Amino acid sequence: MNARDKKFMTGGILIALIIAILAPFLASENPDGLESTAEKVMPNPETEPVVESPMPDYTIPVLGESKVGSSIAMFLGTVIVLGLAYGVGVILRIRETEPDEGK
Amino acid sequence: MHIPDGFIPFPQYVVYWIITLVALYFSMQWARRDLKERQIPLFAVLAAGIFAIQAMNIPIPWGTSGHMVGAALVAIVFASPWAAVLLLSIVLILQGLIFGDGGLTALGANIFNMGIIGGFTGYYLFRALRSAGEIPAVAVASWASIFLAAIACAIEMWIAGTFPLVEGLWMMGLYHAVIGLIEATITVVVVLAIENSRPDLFKFSEWGEKKGVASK
Repeated sequence: MNARDKKFMTGGILIALIIAILAPFLASENPDGLESTAEKVMPNPETEPVVESPMPDYTIPVLGESKVGSSIAMFLGTVIVLGLAYGVGVILRIRETEPDEGK
Repeated sequence: MHIPDGFIPFPQYVVYWIITLVALYFSMQWARRDLKERQIPLFAVLAAGIFAIQAMNIPIPWGTSGHMVGAALVAIVFASPWAAVLLLSIVLILQGLIFGDGGLTALGANIFNMGIIGGFTGYYLFRALRSAGEIPAVAVASWASIFLAAIACAIEMWIAGTFPLVEGLWMMGLYHAVIGLIEATITVVVVLAIENSRPDLFKFSEWGEKKGVASK
């Protein structure tokens, strides 16, 4: 990665992390389009998840439903997505070049 | 627009899972063929940004809120709908697995709606409208990507017996027609920001000319 890419990535990561940290404070509490439709047309729109998530609804269980907890959860999520997407990119790229290097 | 568990019955969610797994295979083929090394930072940063901004629900009328999806943005920036499928899959899998945003049984349907329908609508509409002006084409394509994903979602909910057809279509369509304005605005801003800051990664004048650029 050259200096220009590093600068771009740093800037991009900072923007993503700022959005992530602020999201719980700025986001509307209103249900989103699908939830809102469900509440209006379904007699019982509440469903149970099949598998309980470690940080359900962007909260950290030990911190309860606090906005700071949500910020931390969002921060962690953003870092994990960043790493995962970067990793997927690198892995798929390596597989492409392997056959050429082997011969 | 994340469908929770319990909204789609068993045999139906398997159908969306199968479609999504096939699409994921093709999206990985895209990455092996066309994802250039210098684009990986952009891919990762876009994934992180889309994850974060999807959590920022913006109020719209009717006591409802909406968030960006980002599939059209990715499809246009990488000149491939498969890029959107791959990136949105990463985001949606994480949201479902770790944050319970969208059920794991419904994950196939969520990737189908937001990644596949969103990505393909964004890509092909931009391509079709590009000659009429690139910025308006980005705006219309990104607006339509979220609108059509919502329409598809309403139809799936009707097939599942979860929503009535007409009410579901009206509400999902109306809400997401408004949310689409947010999607269009942010997509235009981010596309212009990338074009201005890193024209080597994306510029309209080279859009879609994969093969010539890929070898460099």
